[in-house]
Amino acid sequence: MEKTPKVNEVNEFLEIASDFEDPLEAIREALSNSYDAEASEVRIEIRTRENGSDIIIEDDGEGMDAADLESFFDLGNSNKDGSIGYKGHGTKIFYKSDEIVVNTSKDGLTHRAKMERPWDKLNERVLPTYSVSTTETTKSRQGTFIRISGFKSEAAFDPESLTYNKIHHYLKWDTIAGSTAHYFDEDPHEFRVEVKLDPAIDDSMDWLVTTNRLEFPSEQLDPGEGNFPEERMCKRYPPEEIEVSHDEGTSKIQVVGMAGGKAARNELATYGKHSAQFGVWLAKDHIKIEQANQVISSDNEFLHFFFIANCQDLELSANRGKIRNKASPVYSAIIEELDHYMSKVANDPWFKRYLEIRRLAAIERKTSDQRESIDERITSAELAGGLEPTNREELLVAWERYQQRNGEDRKIVDIDLDSEIELLFDSDGRFLPGSLHYHLTDFFEQDRSPNEIEFILCWELGDLDYLTDLERNGYQNNDIEFDFEKKRVLYGPDGSEMEVIQLSQLD
Amino acid sequence: MSRSTISDFKVTNEVGQARAGELTIKGTSLKTPNLFPVISVYGGGRATSMFGGGLHRTIKEFMVGHERVFGGDYSEYFPAIMSSVSALTDYGLNEDITEYYLETPMKERPEFSAFDGLLFIDSGGFKFLTQDDEGQEILKITPERAFRIQRQMGADIIINLDYPIHPDDSYHERVRKARSTAENTKKFLELSTDYEAARFLTIHGYTYSMIHTYLNEFTDVIPKDTIIKSVDGIALGSLVPIKDNKGKLLQAVMDCRDVLDEFGFGQLPFHVLGISNGSIPLLAAMGVDTFDSSSYLQAAINHKYSTSLVGSVPIELADFDNCNCDVCSDDRLVDWMRGNTEYQKDILGAVAMHNLIIQMEEMRRIREIIQAGEREELVRYIDELGRESRRLRDYSHKVVNESLGGYF
Repeated sequence: MEKTPKVNEVNEFLEIASDFEDPLEAIREALSNSYDAEASEVRIEIRTRENGSDIIIEDDGEGMDAADLESFFDLGNSNKDGSIGYKGHGTKIFYKSDEIVVNTSKDGLTHRAKMERPWDKLNERVLPTYSVSTTETTKSRQGTFIRISGFKSEAAFDPESLTYNKIHHYLKWDTIAGSTAHYFDEDPHEFRVEVKLDPAIDDSMDWLVTTNRLEFPSEQLDPGEGNFPEERMCKRYPPEEIEVSHDEGTSKIQVVGMAGGKAARNELATYGKHSAQFGVWLAKDHIKIEQANQVISSDNEFLHFFFIANCQDLELSANRGKIRNKASPVYSAIIEELDHYMSKVANDPWFKRYLEIRRLAAIERKTSDQRESIDERITSAELAGGLEPTNREELLVAWERYQQRNGEDRKIVDIDLDSEIELLFDSDGRFLPGSLHYHLTDFFEQDRSPNEIEFILCWELGDLDYLTDLERNGYQNNDIEFDFEKKRVLYGPDGSEMEVIQLSQLD
Repeated sequence: MSRSTISDFKVTNEVGQARAGELTIKGTSLKTPNLFPVISVYGGGRATSMFGGGLHRTIKEFMVGHERVFGGDYSEYFPAIMSSVSALTDYGLNEDITEYYLETPMKERPEFSAFDGLLFIDSGGFKFLTQDDEGQEILKITPERAFRIQRQMGADIIINLDYPIHPDDSYHERVRKARSTAENTKKFLELSTDYEAARFLTIHGYTYSMIHTYLNEFTDVIPKDTIIKSVDGIALGSLVPIKDNKGKLLQAVMDCRDVLDEFGFGQLPFHVLGISNGSIPLLAAMGVDTFDSSSYLQAAINHKYSTSLVGSVPIELADFDNCNCDVCSDDRLVDWMRGNTEYQKDILGAVAMHNLIIQMEEMRRIREIIQAGEREELVRYIDELGRESRRLRDYSHKVVNESLGGYF
């Protein structure tokens, strides 16, 4: 007996609608629909209501016929092959509302559809229905009007969350309004996008108007002035179509992008954390989906780049948030090709020059800091009336001066600051191994062995209590005694002696 | 015969810094860029054994289409060959056999009558370097002796006896070697005045400044004008110690081109001595006209069967059906490569011949692209090389960027 698996339709609708987590995705889907309908203009209004938000979408596209309208409400029944909304999933975000009204005109007919309480019904485990009425209209009339009432926008459309600025960045980053198709299409589809927010959300402008084109910052190939000469440098890399072969055939990748400094990158729209949004983005329908920064070699920071690689053979999750076919030969081939493409960008002489200018500017800034540090050190030296050691190197110089000034017969003949025995003194032909520390206590804190050491040259003794504790507890399982009158340390069972030369106490 | 009658070089097309041309020496023409396979002409045997040399013997048999290798015509892969004065010392030959080898010019021997390519005899200075009592490097051969061997072998292209440098040589050591080489070269030019062969001048250095200093010292001993009048080509040497460091190798060649242009030697044919196969297209794209390489032999000695200029597989894993070269198309030679022959030299000799064909076919492809002036195609070719071998990728990008006008 053959059996057909069943589908729980209500759950499926709920599941798909719930996958759309960000209420702004309703705007993305509305734009995609209008774009697919060949609209040249779409207007979206968001109004604040007590029970959610109203979203009104109006476009001058080719409208929907009865079958299109069915697809609009159906799940996974799209008749839009080759378009953004080919899956028939996107409009299901509108089900998260109290009412959906669609008015659409095509070929002399106007269809009016209405669905009431879709979200409530789904949550009551009832499949919502919609009514349709059809009237005749003039042939020239076309376009679609959609009103989503009581859209469950939660706090996302509150004045604290949404501004024209934010929506602009969202449009440019996540929707067809940030498309890179125009770099590749000889006859690009011009698309004007207008958004109006309820003045209660943001009253800083009447309408936000933009296009369906992502534009890169203008080129500036040479460095600017100031401490960060590289920050506005920018190079645009021309659109390139690359064919890649893989086990499933061939795929076309369309890559375009820019490299440049922070100021140039700041001219781009922001998506989340601005510094994390750069690198290489994979896109479908020229809408960015996911970063693929693994294609940038580890010796290059991804934030210098902003490249978009579109491939129609990428498969997306229901809410378009993720790439689904990452285990496929297509994806591997795309990544491999982009890895190669980005290696060319990273080796581009302009980019290397940009990095070099950036590096030199950093050195220059560091030098400026050093200048300040030098000034501080000069002041400090003046206050001290000459060299007062603060480290081992200065201590060596101070010893050398002392030795010359006082005719000290012990002369340094060898220095190795990386060794346990840093100094060798020549004392009338006898060579004395010694250790060099700013504080005498450093020797013990570093757990140095006193064996083989005949003297410790230091500037100060350090924390005398620490030394007293050593006398009390022993050092490296041996007795130790500090005899500062006789300038010596006695160590071990046989009382081996190390001389302590405390330079600050010598004339 | 005037110098221009002995040797003539014409650049026929250029793509970026890459150039295609024709080098004609004593009436024999060679299209450039081109590769001179390294062959040991004399290796310890008599005429009946093609003058010996193990693997080299089998290669020489291929070169002349000998019956032992089933008489195929491989002459197109030997338009010019490179040998060395020092090769005569490689096999510990005694004086008698050395003189036997030298009594007749190579190309006049009946055994080599089928070879009509050019014979380039390097002085092989690096093999003759030794240290004197004070630890200073000296040569244990005189310019007279080196030239006599070149002449007696009947070389078409000869090179001065030089003092190669090492990467860790001090500045003063390099200057001393440059002056000593210049002194040798002065002698070499005097000795070879009446000998009809193209004369190539070796220069040494790894950076622009090193090569510049080298030529400054050199031209102190032999004026620039004299060099231009009496020298037919330039050869960059001492690259063997850095052959595995592609970045340094490319920089040395790139810098050398710049210095040669500054000294007015840019129109002379530019040869790079002793390189590996992966470097060939990169250097050709940077304007090198001729190379010599023994890598086809070295690969075979290491039991490697080339699948491309940069790819190889162990002989045991080779798919001979996948290659349509003259060696792999001959079932008898395929049988050899499968190990069904008495001598190891024949197994490896057939593989070496296959490896050489791969190199020469690629060389031909590069040459044709340059000759056709197809910049895009040359960029694509060099880019593909970096795609095929990831370790070459940054270098292929460097060549595209610095020699061919870049990608963007």
